[in-house]
Amino acid sequence: MSGRRRLIGHNGAKGSGSVLRLPSARIAVGILAAIAFLAAFGSVLAPQSPLAINANALFQGPSLHHLLGTDYLGRDVLSRLMVGTRLSVLTAVEAVGIGLVLGAIPGIATVFVGRSFDFAINRVSDALMTLPYIFFAVAVTAALGNGLPQAMIAVGILLAPLFFRVTRAATLEHARAQYVEAAELLGASKLHVIRVHVLRKVLPNIVVTTASMTAAALLAVSFLTFLGIGVQPPTPTWGGVMSSDLDYLAQAPWAPFIPGVLIAVTVGALNALADAFRDRSTAGTLVIADPIVHTDLERADGDRQSQAVA
Amino acid sequence: MAIDNRKPWPDLVGAERHEGGADEVLRLDDLHVSVHNGAATAVRGVCLRVQAGEIVGLVGESGSGKTLTCRAALGVLPAGCAVERGSVSFAGFEVTALSRRDWERLHGSRMGAVFQDPASYLNPVITVGRQLAEVLRVKLGMRRRAARQRAIELFESVGLRQPERVFDQIPAELSGGMLQRVMIAIAISCDPELLVADEPTTALDVTIQAEVLELLRQLRDDRGLAVLFVSHDLAVITQLCDRIAVFYAGEIVESGPAAEITQRPRHPYTEALLRVASVGDFRRRELEIIAGQPPRVGADITGCRFAARCPVAVPECGSGQVRSVPVGDQHHVRCVHAARSVVAL
Amino acid sequence: MTAAPAGAPPLLTVESVDVTLGRGWRANQVLSGVDLDIWPGEIVGLVGETGSGKTTLARTVVGLVDPTRGRIVFEGQPISALRRRARRAERRRGHVQLVFQDPLRSLDPDLTVAEIVAEGLRIRGEDDGDQIRRRATAALAKVGLDATVLQRTPGQISGGQRQRVSIARALAVEPRLLICDEPVSALDASSRNHVLRLLRELRDSLGLPIVVISHDLSSLAGIADRVVVLYRGRIVEDGPVERVFATPRHPYTALLMASAPSVRDDRPLAPHQLRRSGPGPVPQDGPGACVFAARCPFAADVCAAQPPLTPVSERWSVACHRHEEWGALAPSANP
Repeated sequence: MSGRRRLIGHNGAKGSGSVLRLPSARIAVGILAAIAFLAAFGSVLAPQSPLAINANALFQGPSLHHLLGTDYLGRDVLSRLMVGTRLSVLTAVEAVGIGLVLGAIPGIATVFVGRSFDFAINRVSDALMTLPYIFFAVAVTAALGNGLPQAMIAVGILLAPLFFRVTRAATLEHARAQYVEAAELLGASKLHVIRVHVLRKVLPNIVVTTASMTAAALLAVSFLTFLGIGVQPPTPTWGGVMSSDLDYLAQAPWAPFIPGVLIAVTVGALNALADAFRDRSTAGTLVIADPIVHTDLERADGDRQSQAVA
Repeated sequence: MAIDNRKPWPDLVGAERHEGGADEVLRLDDLHVSVHNGAATAVRGVCLRVQAGEIVGLVGESGSGKTLTCRAALGVLPAGCAVERGSVSFAGFEVTALSRRDWERLHGSRMGAVFQDPASYLNPVITVGRQLAEVLRVKLGMRRRAARQRAIELFESVGLRQPERVFDQIPAELSGGMLQRVMIAIAISCDPELLVADEPTTALDVTIQAEVLELLRQLRDDRGLAVLFVSHDLAVITQLCDRIAVFYAGEIVESGPAAEITQRPRHPYTEALLRVASVGDFRRRELEIIAGQPPRVGADITGCRFAARCPVAVPECGSGQVRSVPVGDQHHVRCVHAARSVVAL
Repeated sequence: MTAAPAGAPPLLTVESVDVTLGRGWRANQVLSGVDLDIWPGEIVGLVGETGSGKTTLARTVVGLVDPTRGRIVFEGQPISALRRRARRAERRRGHVQLVFQDPLRSLDPDLTVAEIVAEGLRIRGEDDGDQIRRRATAALAKVGLDATVLQRTPGQISGGQRQRVSIARALAVEPRLLICDEPVSALDASSRNHVLRLLRELRDSLGLPIVVISHDLSSLAGIADRVVVLYRGRIVEDGPVERVFATPRHPYTALLMASAPSVRDDRPLAPHQLRRSGPGPVPQDGPGACVFAARCPFAADVCAAQPPLTPVSERWSVACHRHEEWGALAPSANP
């Protein structure tokens, strides 16, 4: 007679190993490393100048000389994309950075500062979440000047509420823990509590959110540049390349797929990385198990507590 | 469609029928239970008999194997655990190798169970009355009105005041003691022969615990219910049970009538437990302890498993398996010293 | 208030404290008119069942909960009125420490034992690493743990050890009063006595007064000098442990004693003799009545008014109108 096949939770097991346990995570990291490399060295490594117009080689398909073909002005697509990586990626990172700082810090703070502060910040966050980002980006570029970095400030501000909500929820969960009360009884200041007890527990949530928000920011960048907001041609960007490709769909139907795949793969990799982080950070929490299965069989030394919890 | 779970099952026609006493409700013979998919043996050579109308207590520290034994008796071992050797017999039928379906027919109708935290075994959004009535309808084929009536009667018989009111309450509205009574009502609703209780009062206030223990005694007296009661609290066990089995490191080291074991313990571990237990003599100021730790679950030890902590261990204790010997009327001890004195007789 | 002994003033005084938790229709008066004194060097057992308010009382004393009325006075200073910075400063002095009931929840699972025990010292601003390490190791030694656990996290040690770490954390700041909330409920019988012995030793070696909160009366027998019984937010009996256990003056205390399971069968009264039998409304159970009247088999008309805590003899008080008579009414009375 064997026992019923049911899941037993592994309470207390820390998320073991690194994020790279899963093959999907490894692939994602590989892709992102390549993208980051391109962002850094793209302009140096590009085989040709992204701006070099060649009237004799319009709409060419992939060839030895032009690995990804040429566009409507005869410019090498590969080079354009490689150089454009920097602008796209850096501004996406800029937006996420702004969102992180503007969102995560209040997210932790509102839990510890007074109630009126908490109320006010929450309402600001709610208001921001109602704004559509395209219009907001246009408005900000009108105010600050037409450049992609400026447009991404707008995106960053609009990403902040998401960081805020996630960080706040995670902080709330940990701020009421009994070990925090114990620290308060020892006279701990709120800063001490945050630094010692809360921060490291909230960090996994922040990391996961950062990864997925970077994906969102990258999509936003692509869309904004696709619409031509914030970028002056002939500066290459992923969205920009795709936009001009669509204008000449008849002549080169394959063309938009190239930047499209690039964007999709990068975004996908970021999301896969976010998933991998999330899986790792929840590996240490309690899995709801069949209540009958409560045996902590390793410890037989007066430990009734773990018997009920495993 | 009503399922009558009281008929003997056709599947078991070919099964062996043990000739235990006519009243023997549960019988465990040389039970060995392995855990972690066979990696370790957590229960070794357990022999136990429960007759109708008696309360048998299993007592021991955490990890001593008492809980696994009671789960084996119920047929609900956790994943990764299995009966390696020995047998479980219920009402004369060998049930060790029963299929899950047949176990489900046994559960509730002929065997009832109560566990430590009643709230986690009840649906939090359905009234307790409905939950009990559902059991009656499924297991006994009762109609709705009859089931409701019977449920209210059962609530009253387990000592719940205002049973009609309790019928319409959800678990969150009831206290721990009341919930435990509800669980007991559900467990005995189909008039089972055996009730298995695994630490049912551990989480209850002491005054409520006393009431629940009285209830169990009353059920034994009124219905001839056989009860298998598991607890780590020796005081509760000695107060409630007719017979006791003391577990240590997966084995039963002493078993016998409660009065006998309390007054004349023959195993050093039992003696130590008695000293340590929450004693009723409130004037005593000594707090006894047992030095050392029990062995890891499934540890491979030659000879007596308690020898490492035993104040009267001798070299003989480490050689070969120590067998359980009778030292009195239904009183068995697994100790080298007891075996010696028996031989000397 | 309990009769003061000659000489020393009490270390801690709980003065007529009421505590109401929750707001509006959910408001629940958890403690009513609690008066309690703790003197240096004694171990006081605070006993109560679920809903008695014992944990709330502990939390009120250390300031995690504010009293709705009344105040907490420590060494002459009213500490319940302190706010924010003053309160933090007072806590950093570490005078009154609380050991929580569940070490799994009260110890940060991501910190090592060393960090946990030293936390109080770090909060005080000590930054001398050696000094901190020495005092942490000393605190651990006092609870019987050696340096091997220093680098482990709470998940890697046993329940009994966790409880000791929790106590060591409180001891590291050299408190003058220790409150332990159910220190042994989560442990089984032998580990339980280890920890209780430890508490007794702490009192003996450090002169540290300890309040042990428990629902289990019999474990207090081994270590408490005095027992205080709480029922539904009120103190019903407060007296020396041997005398209260020998002849409880309050019917609820007697019920607790009779209900406690025992290996020996030598109790003068059985629980059912101390319970009100039969359903039906209780005439004395109106507002303002004795909290125990609804369950009390000896309730009389006079019990429609909540009895005050009256002294029975030196350092022994009971809140019962009929404390002198009910004994004779119980079926097989105490001599």
